[in-house]
Amino acid sequence: MSKVVTLKAFFEEARAGRLTGIRCGRCGEIAIPPKEFCPACQERAWEPVPLDGHGTIASFTVIRVPPRGRAEEAPYAVAVVKLNEGVSLLGRILDIPLDALKVGMPVRFRPLLREEQTVVAFGPP
Amino acid sequence: MRRVAVIGVGVTKFGKHERTCAELFAEAAADAIQDAGVSPRAIQALYYGNVVGGEGDRQLHMGPLAASVLGIPTIPTTRFETACATSHAAFRHAVMEIAAGVSDVVLVGGAERVLNLPTDAATEYFAYASDATFEQPAGITFPGVFALVARAHMAKYGTTEEQMAHVAVKNHRHGALNPKAQFQKEITLEQVMKSAKVADPLKLYDCCPFTDGGAAVVIVSEEVARRSRKPVWILGSAAASDSMFLHEKKDLSRVLATERAAQAAYRQAGRGPQDVDVVELHDCFTIAEIVATEGLGFFEPGTGGIAAEKGWTGLGGKLPVNPSGGLKAKGHPIGATGAAQVAEIVTQLRREAGPRQVDGAKVGLVHTLGGNTATVLVSLLSSE
Ligand SMILES: [Zn+2]
Repeated sequence: MSKVVTLKAFFEEARAGRLTGIRCGRCGEIAIPPKEFCPACQERAWEPVPLDGHGTIASFTVIRVPPRGRAEEAPYAVAVVKLNEGVSLLGRILDIPLDALKVGMPVRFRPLLREEQTVVAFGPP
Repeated sequence: MRRVAVIGVGVTKFGKHERTCAELFAEAAADAIQDAGVSPRAIQALYYGNVVGGEGDRQLHMGPLAASVLGIPTIPTTRFETACATSHAAFRHAVMEIAAGVSDVVLVGGAERVLNLPTDAATEYFAYASDATFEQPAGITFPGVFALVARAHMAKYGTTEEQMAHVAVKNHRHGALNPKAQFQKEITLEQVMKSAKVADPLKLYDCCPFTDGGAAVVIVSEEVARRSRKPVWILGSAAASDSMFLHEKKDLSRVLATERAAQAAYRQAGRGPQDVDVVELHDCFTIAEIVATEGLGFFEPGTGGIAAEKGWTGLGGKLPVNPSGGLKAKGHPIGATGAAQVAEIVTQLRREAGPRQVDGAKVGLVHTLGGNTATVLVSLLSSE
């Protein structure tokens, strides 16, 4: 039986500071929800798995021309972070000077709370 | 499957227009139909592309609107949307309709109008082509996506900002030769390097502009093509996808969908990268051209920046890329771009490109990428 982790559940957990992945019951592939079939083996047997939130920056950018509604936040950094469990996650960078950012730099997950919205973010480890 | 050919092309001037998307498309389509030498009555279907008309113009149901403004309101129409690859996706499906024997004459194209919108609104609507659950809330933008690609390419291969700047300089040099281009002026390496940062390491001159414009092509069965002036044959047309989520890209320094679509198109055509004489590819950002020249098999992974620096991709070089000026200088009306790229390759293969003509071009490749590298289309065309 596949245990579906909905986006709602993922972000509720994230709001409380916990990252949730899913692990394939057949091949062990770890993914970020939501997902039905395992992209690696096509099985449909996910189990939720806690992710410890630690990882390193795989790539990053500093957004200086933001979309509408984000003007006060710019410039800000967005990074793809490779987590220790092997999956990656994109998020906002918090509390790291923009000119100190480097590919390979260790970071740790923390939620960025914006009223009702929860945004994945990463700060110093 | 039946052979399919392009027999007519039309492109509006790219830049700012005080006309609706439907008007822009209809002008290009009327030019394409007249270029094809067929009656408007001969058109059996319209495959129409537009991306942000729902957001910017509050206009849906755009297919019949476009056909109505063109003056052929009774044909079947469908609107396509695959972000920036929109009208190339429409093109591929139209090719299949003719190859399958359903129709003999089909009109394909698209239009976009965004210069009437504030820049932050256009930036927001373009970002809708990224995932709305993780990525838009994090504040990612369209330049931001390719900045992530650029940073990964620089870290893995040592690609430099100067090499990226060479792409912009080259495409502006080509655009200066194209009377339809939004920017018809050359720029210097220094101007690119000193331009304002948009999303590090990408600067203003690494980015294509916002553009209004329309483009259309008429495609037909072999039987109809045999009666036309200078048919250009479609050897292959393929699409591929990659995960919509940036966090699921296996390697941010590559665009795997480009590699998959190229392999499929080459297989259909029975040709390889060494057979290609001229290329129109998706240089929405300078790094995108570098990565595309690698993914399409023209240069080894990691050497696309060197190719740009050495001038191999300029007019007169080993493999001219984006003789039209590309998205960078010709402009990027996103819903029209794929059709406009096909139109340029057809013009090149007909030897009608004037001062930007690639000498002796017989086989051309069109590459169009959608949004966050999740959609790519590749088509191969030939004059023979
Ligand atoms: Zn599996």
